[in-house]
Amino acid sequence: MRLPPLLSRATLAATACAAALAFAPAAVHAQGMLNLLNNLGGAKNSGGGLLGAVVGGPANNAGQGEDLIGLLSRSVESIDEPREIEIGRQLASVLLGSKPLHPDMQLQRYVNQLGRWISLQSERPGLPWTFIVLDDTGYNAFAAPGGYVFVTKGLIDRCADESELAGILAHEITHVTAKHHLHAMRKTAQSGVLTQLVASQIKTSAVGNLVASQLFALGRNLYARGLDQTDEFQSDRNGVALAARAGFDPYGLVAVLQQLRTATPDNPMFTLALATHPPAQARLDQLEQAMGQRLDKYTGTQPVTVAQRLGARKK
Amino acid sequence: MVQWLHRGALAVALALGALAAPAHAQQDAAVIKRATELRESPAESSASLGALAADSAVARTGERKGSWVKVRTPQGAAGWVHMFDVGAQSGAAPASGNAATGGLRSLGGLFGGNSGSTTTATATVGIRGLGAEDIANAQPNPAAVSQAEKLRVNADQARQFAGTAALHAQRVEPLPEPPRPTPSGGGGQFNPDTQSAN
Repeated sequence: MRLPPLLSRATLAATACAAALAFAPAAVHAQGMLNLLNNLGGAKNSGGGLLGAVVGGPANNAGQGEDLIGLLSRSVESIDEPREIEIGRQLASVLLGSKPLHPDMQLQRYVNQLGRWISLQSERPGLPWTFIVLDDTGYNAFAAPGGYVFVTKGLIDRCADESELAGILAHEITHVTAKHHLHAMRKTAQSGVLTQLVASQIKTSAVGNLVASQLFALGRNLYARGLDQTDEFQSDRNGVALAARAGFDPYGLVAVLQQLRTATPDNPMFTLALATHPPAQARLDQLEQAMGQRLDKYTGTQPVTVAQRLGARKK
Repeated sequence: MVQWLHRGALAVALALGALAAPAHAQQDAAVIKRATELRESPAESSASLGALAADSAVARTGERKGSWVKVRTPQGAAGWVHMFDVGAQSGAAPASGNAATGGLRSLGGLFGGNSGSTTTATATVGIRGLGAEDIANAQPNPAAVSQAEKLRVNADQARQFAGTAALHAQRVEPLPEPPRPTPSGGGGQFNPDTQSAN
């Protein structure tokens, strides 16, 4: 999985571009996706043109072919909020390409209300937060930059009460507010493996656009691989505090992790969640050290199950 | 029924049930991490029902109140202990998990109705949830994103929900960052070998 570190960025970009061009005819049915990027001002199959749009300001290096790699490599701070949301939107479309929206619109609305309320207590209450239930019996949760948060229906079904779901949503929300995904993508881009990713996925991505190809490659890589352990520990810690700020029992996430601890990696419902996160025991140990009994005074709330909450809404 | 759905081992429990195993699969075996008291009710101040030695075995009932979980001792006493004083039974989970999952796979299609039709990779692994292959093979679906975005709620709607749900915002200090568990250095260095995916 490791590439020789000294390949130049230009070489990588050129290779990826050539690969993308070679498959350009396949791009037709990704046209809807590309329109957005193209509307941002770029010409199809031209990393340079898109760059001007994605980075903002005049395209000062037209023809030089700087692209997402360049953008990400400079710094995460150079990605402003509209671009962050746009990147998140693309990654969200990958996740929604892997599993559909769950058809229960009442459930979708409830998770949006719950998540939006928690997000209001976060450091970035103004993002256009979008919460999505994926129609999947497996157990997982994801986030994407700009405020996209996903949970599987299987995860919701296994939440003993609302505080567990709140803990999970709060964990994902802090991934977004801390821009963990953008930082992870930057590391991947800087490491030089991106072109390999793009090349290995070109047959399935059907996207003849360099920036889009790179973005999808990064996204697929990210969600299959997971974030850094440090980021997961941080989101556990800050997620617990965030859930408490929103009025939930902060031990919801602890309960989730304790049940995850008993799940085994070869249980097919948990495979990806376990493969992409530090061991639940390590997360619990970190949380125990961080929490001590600091949050025990916030645990007085009466537990409500998701079913009770949904049932109450029907009346 | 709903009570044990959340015990984490849904699939395991179902598989065991289907294989006519004892009906107590919902009671998780656990172990006391450090010497503590079995409390009559979920509070430090409540009466002690007796001492629990470190490493003694208990069964979790699935009941939780804040930071307290209800457990049963092998002697039949039931009471409450702090969540952080309860650990997983060492070594037991992987072994039983292997057996149960193997059984689950051989059952084929128990959960297949929901996800089987939407994935192409299920043939090789039987039934399972969303996996890395699903994401690797995913074709972007921007229309579904647009649909999801229509379901957003705004801040006022969220506050209204919190009001009816009796949820109140409160000030909570950030938690301190504990020392990292493993001394694997290289803070910001990208290194595929130390990613959590293995």
